[in-house]
Amino acid sequence: MIVDQLLIKLTEVFAQDIYTAGAENANELYLEVNPEKILEISSYIHLELGYPLILMFANDEQSLKTGYAIYYVFADRTEGLLLIIKTLVDSGKMEILSLSKNIPSASLYEREINDLFGIVPVGHPEAKRLVFHGNWPDGEYPLRKEFDVRHKPVFAKKETDFTKVGGEGVFEVPVGPVHAGIIEPGHFRFSVAGEPIINLEAQLYYVHKGIEKLCEGQSIERCLYVSERISGDETFANSLAYCQAIEKIARVRIPDRAQHTRVVFAELERLTSHLGDLAGICLDAAYGFATFQFRMMRGWAYGAADELCGMRFLRSVNKLGGVRKDFAAGKEAKLREQLQKIRSELEDTVNIIKANSLFIDRVENTGILETKIASDLNAVGPGGRASGLRFDVRKSFPYEVYNQLEFNIPEHHNGDINCRMNTKIEECFESISLMLQALETMPDGNVLEAINSVEPYRFAFGLTEAPRGENIHWVMTGENNTIYRYKIRTPSFCNWPALCHAVKGNIVPDFPLINKSFNLSYAGNDL
Amino acid sequence: MNSMIYILVQILVIIMAAPLVNGIIKKIKALTQKRKGAPVFQMYFDIYKLLQKNSVVSEVSSWIFKVTPYIVFTTAIAAALLVPVSTKLITQQIPGDFIMLVSILALGRFFMMAAALDTAGTFGGMGSSREAMISSLIEPSILVSLFTVGLISQSTSLPQIMNAVQNTGVPLLHPVYIMVFLALLIVIIAETSRIPVDDPSTHLELTMVHEAMILEYSGRHLALMEYGAAIKQLTFITLLVNILIPSDQLIGFTGIGALALSLVIYLLKVVLLSVIIAIIEVNTVKFRLFSIPNLAALSFILAFLGILQYFILGGSHV
Repeated sequence: MIVDQLLIKLTEVFAQDIYTAGAENANELYLEVNPEKILEISSYIHLELGYPLILMFANDEQSLKTGYAIYYVFADRTEGLLLIIKTLVDSGKMEILSLSKNIPSASLYEREINDLFGIVPVGHPEAKRLVFHGNWPDGEYPLRKEFDVRHKPVFAKKETDFTKVGGEGVFEVPVGPVHAGIIEPGHFRFSVAGEPIINLEAQLYYVHKGIEKLCEGQSIERCLYVSERISGDETFANSLAYCQAIEKIARVRIPDRAQHTRVVFAELERLTSHLGDLAGICLDAAYGFATFQFRMMRGWAYGAADELCGMRFLRSVNKLGGVRKDFAAGKEAKLREQLQKIRSELEDTVNIIKANSLFIDRVENTGILETKIASDLNAVGPGGRASGLRFDVRKSFPYEVYNQLEFNIPEHHNGDINCRMNTKIEECFESISLMLQALETMPDGNVLEAINSVEPYRFAFGLTEAPRGENIHWVMTGENNTIYRYKIRTPSFCNWPALCHAVKGNIVPDFPLINKSFNLSYAGNDL
Repeated sequence: MNSMIYILVQILVIIMAAPLVNGIIKKIKALTQKRKGAPVFQMYFDIYKLLQKNSVVSEVSSWIFKVTPYIVFTTAIAAALLVPVSTKLITQQIPGDFIMLVSILALGRFFMMAAALDTAGTFGGMGSSREAMISSLIEPSILVSLFTVGLISQSTSLPQIMNAVQNTGVPLLHPVYIMVFLALLIVIIAETSRIPVDDPSTHLELTMVHEAMILEYSGRHLALMEYGAAIKQLTFITLLVNILIPSDQLIGFTGIGALALSLVIYLLKVVLLSVIIAIIEVNTVKFRLFSIPNLAALSFILAFLGILQYFILGGSHV
């Protein structure tokens, strides 16, 4: 077994520093290691084995007599394996060694942990606040267990400092947090020399809801509803990741019909989201005709969702152990017809926009995200795939029945808006095909294997491919079917820094177009 | 007395018809997008609504911000007076020619750019610098194309140019006028902030040109700015249709009936040109900002070819 081989390999190199090792849920290898040696171990895994760091989080385990723990999650995307390195934090010092210099994608996680737990990353190159702005008081760390969820901190007044760019003729353009149009809040600080952008710093996190804290101590059933509300347009991907984690903890295999139904809904959500993104790209290039074509098709896709479950945003479809109802029964023909209608309209529209040289001129070679930067920042989803990072959770960590269905991952290398747009267009067609396949092969039977209770203090990952990319949830259960710790990392968290890099060197009026080609979630980023 | 009637008719027609052009363009765009769209007269309602509202003025702004709407509006009206909607009205020379027309519009634009900088907002400065770039590139092309028709008719006065062109039959069959027509069409698109130069319906401040400059305006100030822009747009359209698609020579009689018929034909020509502009808007997308100079260069080259053709082919047979 691959997990055993990996463990043997690691023990050969770091025998003295690995304290405990254990495999969980078939593909998760947990190792507790010496915190002093974390730099060497993580560098070995990242550079020698080539596993990217896909998640890093802290957990207050004082009631379990172990104190604060940091989990570093590395992924082997070819073998479908998760390697989790756990270190304990010295409660007297509350410090960890920063990995950011060796592994750039660790930077944001370390700043997040610093804000939420007060665990300081020593040697971090850019150790400023991330989740909280200057108005949050020092010394209050909400994810520590002793922090009461109802506690209202006093309003502190401190200026946020942005990266300064000097030089003659360089000036700063502050944009937001309130924008024109109905979009979420985010502040963008451009440093520009005339029109070309030298640097962009995005200050997000205006919508902190404390989701992870809210879930602690709540029943597993209740948290399902919270997970559906993490990000409005990724309802299904998030609730699916949560359900998967709980189902792994409960060691339940859900019925085949439920698995097929989940594939249909997950792909319907992807189709809707991608059509919306394509409309957005066309709108920002002032391409009215194509905008309304894509919006019309998205309307049809929403209509199909409404037809299936009575809810366009797919809430209350998932249930722990399956789906709430046999949604597909008797509606297959209608759905098939609707999907074919979308497919033929989409083919026509795509042919028209690809023949419009003015439009292609706008999107080609604009907002290039280089492959090296994309992989350093662990850019995921269509944003990463357009830059040549050809991975997809549906292939690397197959869930539900994806390994029985046929689909391709789009292959693009240039990393510009055109590639991201084409990735999304191709994925729309793949999604339609996946839905049709799932409907075709859907077996009869029940759709729910009820989960009533779970063992305390077990943990598992739920991984799904959300429309925006790799979506990871980690759940640890507490006493009496409650949640002890719920860590969520949506794809937007990884791709925001990638956006800031893609913008550099472009001109200010192209920013909205580049931004729309990523179309990241603010709410999903700031939990 | 005659000049009083001229001013009255001119102002009435321009003020009444200006918002209609926007309405028609928006309606056609909506229909191509399978939408019903707003009523053709929507802009009249909007202006009426805005005129009843107070204006919010930033505390840090100076007098420039407050006088600009009036200057923009009056310069637009003054410019419109120089471009007759019908030649049936003109019995004598009107003071001012097309060089003055360009200068008056430049005055309005200068104040608009100054006012956008005045509030020290994020987007005003961006809009001003882009507007300065575009207008400085497009102005030579207006002048060169108007000089071409001026050379043919031996005058810089617009009524005289219009009268002279009326005696040439169908101008658009002649290469000189075709070049001038295309050059002026590009000028109209750039001057009136339409796709592919600017997007009048966008909500994205970072991509705006004209809209970024009027972003800080509200209430009746905004109404004046919007109205001024619409009047300027109609003035340019009038310039194009009355010089290059002359029709008054077809009306064989004089008097009030001739004027009325002339105005009806004029309005039909305006609608026709609005449709052409709408079709261009539907079929193009917004250019990259730094591709706009190419478009301005194209317009200038067309105008310049027009003037060359005049000298090579000679103007006498036109």
